[in-house]
Amino acid sequence: MSSNRLERLADVLVGYCTRVRTGDLVCVDTGPAAASLVEAVWRRVLEAGGHPHLRLDVDGAPDLLLRDGTDEQLTWVSPVRRSEVERADVRIAIYADVNTRANGGVDPERQARLERSHDPIRRTHLARVGSGDLRGVVTLYPTQAAAQDADMSLPEYEDFVFRAGLLDHEDPRGEWEALGRAYGRLAGQLGQSAELRIVGEGTDLTLGVEGRTWVPSDGRENFPDGEVFTGPIETSVDGTISFTYPSSFAGRRISGVQLEFRGGEVVRSDAVEGEAFLRQMLALDEGARRAGEFAFGLNEAVTEFTGHTLFDEKIGGTVHLALGASYPETGGQVQSALHWDLVCDLRNGSEVYADGELVYRDGRFLNGVV
Amino acid sequence: MTDPRIERLAGLLADYSLELREGNVLRIDSLDAGSPLVLALYGAALRVGALPYTNVSLSGLGEILFQYGSDEQLTYLSPIQWEEIEQLDALATIWSETNTRALSRVDSTRHAAYIAAQRKLSNRRWERISNGEMGWCGTLYPTNAHAQEAEMSLAEYEDFVYAACHVHEEDPAAHWRAVSSELKARAAELGAVRELRILGPDTDVRLGVEGRSWLAADGRYNLPDGEVFTSPLETETEGEIRYTFPAVYHGREVEDVRLRFEGGHVVAAEAVRGDDYLQSLLDMDAGSRVLGEVAFGLNYEIDRFTRNILFDEKIGGTMHLALGSGFPQSGGQNTSGLHWDMICDLRREGEVYADGELIWKNGQFLAEPALEVVESGQGQGLPSG
Repeated sequence: MSSNRLERLADVLVGYCTRVRTGDLVCVDTGPAAASLVEAVWRRVLEAGGHPHLRLDVDGAPDLLLRDGTDEQLTWVSPVRRSEVERADVRIAIYADVNTRANGGVDPERQARLERSHDPIRRTHLARVGSGDLRGVVTLYPTQAAAQDADMSLPEYEDFVFRAGLLDHEDPRGEWEALGRAYGRLAGQLGQSAELRIVGEGTDLTLGVEGRTWVPSDGRENFPDGEVFTGPIETSVDGTISFTYPSSFAGRRISGVQLEFRGGEVVRSDAVEGEAFLRQMLALDEGARRAGEFAFGLNEAVTEFTGHTLFDEKIGGTVHLALGASYPETGGQVQSALHWDLVCDLRNGSEVYADGELVYRDGRFLNGVV
Repeated sequence: MTDPRIERLAGLLADYSLELREGNVLRIDSLDAGSPLVLALYGAALRVGALPYTNVSLSGLGEILFQYGSDEQLTYLSPIQWEEIEQLDALATIWSETNTRALSRVDSTRHAAYIAAQRKLSNRRWERISNGEMGWCGTLYPTNAHAQEAEMSLAEYEDFVYAACHVHEEDPAAHWRAVSSELKARAAELGAVRELRILGPDTDVRLGVEGRSWLAADGRYNLPDGEVFTSPLETETEGEIRYTFPAVYHGREVEDVRLRFEGGHVVAAEAVRGDDYLQSLLDMDAGSRVLGEVAFGLNYEIDRFTRNILFDEKIGGTMHLALGSGFPQSGGQNTSGLHWDMICDLRREGEVYADGELIWKNGQFLAEPALEVVESGQGQGLPSG
């Protein structure tokens, strides 16, 4: 990315998303490919009075562990990871994969064990974010690998990422703040509903959301952003949902996923591609068969599928449902080592009813709030 | 294709230097330029059942810290860093710069403040290393920047580095085990010496070493390695020494250093270039004018000066006498914020007398060490060959 773009992105990450203040310990978690963004972030963090701390995975090391590690090695959580999640005031995680499919040949059960062993870290992270002790943002630095997944050249992909973050606007922070206010109004309205029903091709799903909090996602925890999400009532999800887009999880691609829920639990699952991996993940633990999150994607600058959840789940006119862990701030109670977002496109002939009333059609809310 | 020498260096680090065992927590420190060796060591550690993780930084972040950081930020040590040290069973440091002079223009006061802060961490690290609570080894992954310092192409420099580590051979551990026996035998012999006199070009210096232990640097703490060293008696150094190689401290060079010692202290010092820097380092603290180390460089694969102390201090046929902190494990008592290795080339003209007897001439000990001393004294077998 050009240095101008990097500076704009770093400015938003440090000044808007995580609001770094004097004395903050800022953990930056990424790969070597993001070096130029890390440098820009370093400057901003230092200017803001923070203390930057780097956690860098060498490309290839996680793959070696997954492929060759013994059980003990695979499930070992480095003490520094624990220190970081407990001590950091801010965490800036930057995806910078140089090969998004490096783990394609790994036994899914090994992946599952690794995920489970890191669950305590994830819980601490979520709890500290939920209570406001930790400001954490996840973003992506455009690499050739991510561009390849999106079927784009790197310059095309850089443009896409830049626009998705509204960084091409004069005042990106102001844009996100304005969107945040609109999302907040939507969240307030959704918070008055007891039940949602999603109807589309291959999809007819009802979810209970009474008493749950809808969270407007305005670029503080994900960047780019653009969604409102909640945690549905754990026993209330019933019906079938078909996911339009292929999904990548832990370096694997799964497509044509259809899930049937009864009493909040997945009772049937199908996939065109990667079905064995899907089943393995559903069996990860108690919570992995439940919907920990349900959300509306609202980012109008993200219109096409690019193969990365950070962007796909934000596509304006989609909803996504996550198998596994809830975000505590929604009131959701699902606990799991899994959090796997699956995206359903509602832009073509789909409808959403709130307590029986049609509120959303063809990817848009009818009241025009967003 | 991966250079097989990288794999062998990684194996040597894991098996010989660090002696990694199942369940050992290993942190691998490096800059991103060292990634190939980081990855190879990570793999070697996995194979022996250890628990490795990488602590890799990016070239360039140090400069940014100096440019943008306040004094408080520059000297900040995080609780994460403190907690981390206590958890390690082993630490590997892989030096791998992409620009060895990136900090040349940094304000020296700020640089000193940064180093002083980092020393708090490294002191605790050294405490754990010397207590035997954790292992450490430092090595280098060849980059163009290091090659440039050495005035070589990268390919030439790789050959130089890997030959110095003996990983151009199939079984480098066997080589280092043999070196270890030889160096330990040499150290045991030197342990009986009361006074050393070093004669060379513009050099005639006497050092008291009675009662001090000589230690063998045999590839446990450094790769490459190859020296025997001790800390001389603090009040007995007398005479003059001229350092023929440039003396480098934190990337800054001082050329043609001459020192005169009286009663253990430097009483006169001059340099052709960098004299101000030399004088400021000598004035650092009470211990910075006293020798903390005297050593023989004995790695004869290292046959030239490359502006990197990891190699230079081991050049076969040189001696180095370091100003500043001594080694408690040798009996050294000098404490200082400084430890500045300066190297004296004795390969062309040089003689060393031990209690009046000539033991070293033109860069070579005159006699092989008697290995049986080691065998009876420390219970080690003879090296093969």
